[in-house]
Amino acid sequence: MGVNVVVCLKQVVDPELPAQEFAVDPHSRRQVRTGKALVISTYDENALEVALQLKDKGAASGVTVLTVAPAAEAKDAVRLALAMGADRAVVVDDPRAPALLGVEKAALLGAALRRMGGADLVLTGCESADWVERVVAPLLAEAIRASCVTFVSRVEAGGGFVTVKRLADDGVHTVEARLPAVISITSDESNRPRLPKIRDIMQAGKKPVETVPAPALGDVPGAMADGVEVREVAIPARTTTCEVLEGEPAEQADALIQRLRALKVV
Amino acid sequence: MTETVEFQLSEEHRLIQGTVREFASREILPRAAALDRSSEFPAEIIRSAAALGLMGMMVPEEYGGAGQDSMAYVIAQEELARASAGVQAIITVNNSLTCEPILRWGSDDLKRRYLPALADGRSLGCYCLTEPGAGSDAMSLAATAHLDGDVWILNGTKIFVTSGVEADVCIVYARTGPEPGARGISAFVVEKAFPGIRVGKVEHKLGILCSSTAEIVLEDCRVPRGNLLGEPGQGGRIALATLDGGRLGIAAQAAGIARAALEDALAYAKGRRQFGRAIAEFEAVQWYLADMATRLEASRLLIYRAAYLRDQGRPYTKEVAMAKLFASETAMWAAHKAVQIHGGYGYVKEYNVERYFRDAKITEIYEGTSEIQRLVIARHTVRP
Repeated sequence: MGVNVVVCLKQVVDPELPAQEFAVDPHSRRQVRTGKALVISTYDENALEVALQLKDKGAASGVTVLTVAPAAEAKDAVRLALAMGADRAVVVDDPRAPALLGVEKAALLGAALRRMGGADLVLTGCESADWVERVVAPLLAEAIRASCVTFVSRVEAGGGFVTVKRLADDGVHTVEARLPAVISITSDESNRPRLPKIRDIMQAGKKPVETVPAPALGDVPGAMADGVEVREVAIPARTTTCEVLEGEPAEQADALIQRLRALKVV
Repeated sequence: MTETVEFQLSEEHRLIQGTVREFASREILPRAAALDRSSEFPAEIIRSAAALGLMGMMVPEEYGGAGQDSMAYVIAQEELARASAGVQAIITVNNSLTCEPILRWGSDDLKRRYLPALADGRSLGCYCLTEPGAGSDAMSLAATAHLDGDVWILNGTKIFVTSGVEADVCIVYARTGPEPGARGISAFVVEKAFPGIRVGKVEHKLGILCSSTAEIVLEDCRVPRGNLLGEPGQGGRIALATLDGGRLGIAAQAAGIARAALEDALAYAKGRRQFGRAIAEFEAVQWYLADMATRLEASRLLIYRAAYLRDQGRPYTKEVAMAKLFASETAMWAAHKAVQIHGGYGYVKEYNVERYFRDAKITEIYEGTSEIQRLVIARHTVRP
């Protein structure tokens, strides 16, 4: 039988672009996107790979990718996800999407999921490659009343719950979560995103893609959140400080350890 | 004659380009220099390439291929060659020089027997046409084949066979009839496993070092009757038509090398500072880079046009000869300029450009020297 899996994808400006390509629009307080190459956010690809592996093992009955984006922008990402092996895609066509924060995205994704009839398992990236807010998974879980585990590297599904490996500061925790669940995925050697086979790239064009205009979701509570305001987006100024440690080598070594501990590096 | 020219790649072609580029940068680029130093056959890379569908790109899906068109093929070949011309050489020979002749001239039985394994990487192909006495004058080849009951007996020596060492399926040309030149030649599918075929001398080359180049010796080699491609005497036609397709792959290889040369030279020129500024700011260097970029774009347009004509089922011999000629001379020139831009560092193996310089040279030679390409173009231009 298997669980019904939905993977939430977001497209970001390619993080691999040279640093000089990164620009911020001071008025909108957002990264400049026009004319830049867009890719699926890094950890979202890992999430998709986890979903596809569940499908390969027979643990998932189907994989749907869901994205909130301007429809024209989403085409390439959706096509790639379908070529990798997803079965269908739902695109919430929203021209505001690139400017929306995690709070608002989570609300829209929640509304979209409700409209789709829910899902057993929702996978997201643990953080987006641009804003790194890390809020979508927990907020989405709240919105659809699902359990939530974040920073997961591996997922096993069966019997109405998922067993996941969660990466924490003190090691790896094995966590069991009841379905429905929202799991945010981090990268691991086991979930390196697959490359689509050439044949599947052609097949992808035949898979169903449903485009839903954002207004069709109705008034979404929490969308256009009042509680969060972006005051400034800026490229940090580079400063270097040099602290010279005095004394004999043994004293310097001690002092170095103290400093590193104080800086929480070790 | 006006034609609508579409200057934008389709969505599928862009996705294929992106996928092969990602594959090349993940799997090939990190190993390219080491493969060149060791001359080791890139077995794992070829396995991964096969898994993606790159070994039988234009083989129909019913035979296990990716069912792609020539445009997708040339796009993929350029991406592969940008990372390693040697790896791409292995792949293009399997596609254009082994799968294609079997697809076009093989019986249903031959297609069913050989194409799936060639497409999925279980078999590797090679092409045995050239002989010590027959290079540019390929149709003067001397290898023989005579029918003995249900078996062809082949005798002869083939040289400069790409993947000669590792291949298990060989397209072999031999003389079956008394007619001189092309009309007396036939083409065969010969497995290394057949009795009477062995690998002879292995060449040590200037470039594309991870691709083996070997002598294939046929001594009373027994080939089943059904392994003839087409009809007896069709070998000349098969060879020339197959080379047309092969030239697409080599032209794309050259474009990939030229792009590698341009990208590396650009990166170096932006970083290298002399006389208080990046050398990319000096006009002499800028002109080299501008010419490299322009000639690369021109190469691509010639390649795409030849691929387009082929996909339309139209004659493309002249156009592919133009593409191969121009792209290969561009690759050699661009690689040479890239070394020059790097200065002393261009001469040193720590940087990749010296490898591009060594790899580029072969594109002006194999699958028809530039001199032969000019003859082909002239034949179509002077006496159309």
